[in-house]
Amino acid sequence: MACLPNDTLIAYNEDSLGAIEASQARDHLLVCPDCRRSAAAFRALDSILASPSLHTPPARLIPQVMQRLYPATARYTSIFAAMAASLVFLVTWIYIYFDFSRSSLIQALQLTANGTSGWLANIIKAISVVYNAAQAGYKAGQALLNILLPARLGPAVIVGMVLLFSGLLLFALLRPRLKKAHQRKS
Amino acid sequence: MTLDEDQVLIKRTLRGERKAYEELMRKYEKKIFSFVIRMVRNEDVAVDLTQDFFFKIYTVMDKYNFEYKFSTWAYRICYNLVIDHIRKNQAQVDSLDDDSVSPRDLAASENVSREDGFKNLAQEETRDYVWRVVDQIPLKFRELILLRYIQDLKYEEIAAITSLPVGTVKNRIFKAKELLKQEMEKDGMLA
Repeated sequence: MACLPNDTLIAYNEDSLGAIEASQARDHLLVCPDCRRSAAAFRALDSILASPSLHTPPARLIPQVMQRLYPATARYTSIFAAMAASLVFLVTWIYIYFDFSRSSLIQALQLTANGTSGWLANIIKAISVVYNAAQAGYKAGQALLNILLPARLGPAVIVGMVLLFSGLLLFALLRPRLKKAHQRKS
Repeated sequence: MTLDEDQVLIKRTLRGERKAYEELMRKYEKKIFSFVIRMVRNEDVAVDLTQDFFFKIYTVMDKYNFEYKFSTWAYRICYNLVIDHIRKNQAQVDSLDDDSVSPRDLAASENVSREDGFKNLAQEETRDYVWRVVDQIPLKFRELILLRYIQDLKYEEIAAITSLPVGTVKNRIFKAKELLKQEMEKDGMLA
């Protein structure tokens, strides 16, 4: 009697033969020691394969993925925060350096408010309150800057802040392209 | 719809919970890394590809369809990533279609023990030996053995991942087992 082909033996071990084929295989195995040996060998192989030894990845694998996924956003946030801070500092410094407090616009508005009534007067009064608060802040800031930075450094500070702001803006805009180029290279 | 454990982790990740994604990675890192390293046979490349896989899964997670098992979807992405890498670097690994080289010839080039028969080896050593031989069989058989036994997938799931017909998957796995059995016999383990 011809021996069973290997795929029949494997399928028999896996219980994937049809009822008739399985019965024929079982009958054959009873009388054929060679096929019994082969079937046992496939069973042994199956049991070894079914319990694979898994490789443990290096400990740095997940932290590096997390670093790649999340701090990217944090780094962007810090870039935009630095940009905002430099912009605020630049505007404040320009305001102080050119002494815009002498502007008569707000004073004119205040005078208009005095001669007006109703909602327009309220709006102008609200603007005046904000203006007064800003002016108080400005004076405090000016006093502080006068102590920290001599007035002659004004243009240098402005140029410095413009350069810083432009640099950060350029970096924020180019960063995704640089990153992609780096990834392609690596 | 009831969500399984993986899907709950995905929902939490999509809500912005970093811990949830870390948990998902921890759950799959060993299986994915084992699959990748046995496919590419280079630890550094395997680390990079596993990291790329987790990065990719995160970036396309919003496209995941909750009607399907996460693992099948993820393994498909992993499989494609690895196959793409292998196709681009064919000189470093054996060809996808190369089944002309016998596992014995390939195994001989590695440190696979030839002197000891399986009968004389402890269970752990036997397992290591068999898996080392698996590492040497042609890729088109190896990938299916890895998906079947490392990822513990059914024939139908493997067919969905590899885009092969179920019959082909079955035949190749059977053929792979024949190759492995021949190796074991040659080493006297099954004598």
